[in-house]
Amino acid sequence: MTDMAAPPRAPQRDVGGCPVMHRDFAPPGPAGCYWDLAKELRDGSPVYFNTFAQGYWIFTRHDAVKDIYKTPELFSSESFTPWDPEPIYRFVPTQIDAPDHIKYRRILNPWFSPRAIEAAEDDLRALCRSLVEEVASKGATDFVSEFALRYPTEGFLQVIGIPPKDADLFVTWVEDFFAGFGGDPAGLERMTNALQGIQAYWAAALEERRAEAEPRPGDLASHLLHSTFDDRPLTDTEMLDMLTVLVLAGLDTTRAELGYMFRHLAEHPEERRRLIEEPELIPLAVEEVLRYYTIIFGDGRKVTRDVEFHGVELKQGEMVYGLVSAANRDPDHWERGEEFVIDRQRNNHMGFANGPHRCLGMHLARREMKIAVEEWLRLIPDFEIATEEQLTERGGGSMMTLLSLPLAWDVAS
Amino acid sequence: MKLRIDGDVCMGHGRCYTIAPDLVTYDDEGFPTIRDELFAVPDDLVATAEEVVATCPEEAISLFDE
Repeated sequence: MTDMAAPPRAPQRDVGGCPVMHRDFAPPGPAGCYWDLAKELRDGSPVYFNTFAQGYWIFTRHDAVKDIYKTPELFSSESFTPWDPEPIYRFVPTQIDAPDHIKYRRILNPWFSPRAIEAAEDDLRALCRSLVEEVASKGATDFVSEFALRYPTEGFLQVIGIPPKDADLFVTWVEDFFAGFGGDPAGLERMTNALQGIQAYWAAALEERRAEAEPRPGDLASHLLHSTFDDRPLTDTEMLDMLTVLVLAGLDTTRAELGYMFRHLAEHPEERRRLIEEPELIPLAVEEVLRYYTIIFGDGRKVTRDVEFHGVELKQGEMVYGLVSAANRDPDHWERGEEFVIDRQRNNHMGFANGPHRCLGMHLARREMKIAVEEWLRLIPDFEIATEEQLTERGGGSMMTLLSLPLAWDVAS
Repeated sequence: MKLRIDGDVCMGHGRCYTIAPDLVTYDDEGFPTIRDELFAVPDDLVATAEEVVATCPEEAISLFDE
């Protein structure tokens, strides 16, 4: 990762002896390099000042990352990208603080609750099965483009009542959005265009439903038109900001976790075998994937007032970055933290974040991952990585994800 | 043993009712129904309750001896 390191510039302010770095977390690298970097930073110091962009604090250890999540009154979600304290988008409820945050969450919670996901299980399984069947007879696939991008996208659209034929539109927008999200200025135009595309799609969807007296069953856009906030209807801006973040958060993340999970299974035949023989371990394996392969390199927050925090003096308006990926393997919190333990118990990881902004779609994501393992291993119990080349991952600033994962297996003739 | 889930700290991760469905049930938004109650843990579920406490990502769950 030395290509990302540059000589640190002097920070604009006195950082009180804290180690200083100048690093961009946007560039892609060899698969797994961002977890190596997280470990290097965590082993090196509990806190750094990064002079990249306007400058921000990086906390690398479990206790501080947890405290950032659990103290939202000190750490606002107004921006969660520390290199971009005033983003061009406004995600609702992601970037909303108390007291309004919970009001938006309560509108959305029932759509992604365990009961809702339970009800969607059969459809999700049928979708997953048909995608696995489609590739099984080929003997090879790019797991990312042929499966991991399609399955969560169509599954998510199904849950919110959007026709699966629109999946390809969303896949492209999501890819373009994350080209700029991680702080790479070259990706900003693609990000802006993607945002406009998504918002235009939802604006048209809302228009189509606006005149209807009753909400359409199973249709989230229609449901929002009939929802209230403090006894008033939601504004169009609020509805668009809610629908936009759902798409971006719901499609990209599960795809990323699926990629790392299946890379792991491809490289560990003995663990694949174990999940086939003991399928009751699959939910534990899913949690361990979420801990060990945490795709959130770090999570940003904005400091609401001057405060001393874990030994440094933070000033109001500064940005902090909690390295969740480092915290989720921190040896001060975990036994064998840097090891993948497929049947790990007491796995209280922060892979879905922590505190009031914990991932809305967590129950859907887990269920999709569990179904994917079950259905894939049923038809394709043995498979391997079909390239000698180093796999590449997207930069941690946009959340790590494998850009491709060529897999191959024997097909009975 | 008594178990208590702090309703202000619980964020509805759902790990408790996933690993201990006999102990914890959930509502329409995915939160445990026994939040802020002192809940008597049956003797045969004490070990499970201890797992639940250690697995909660928010550290919202406590066990009491009386």
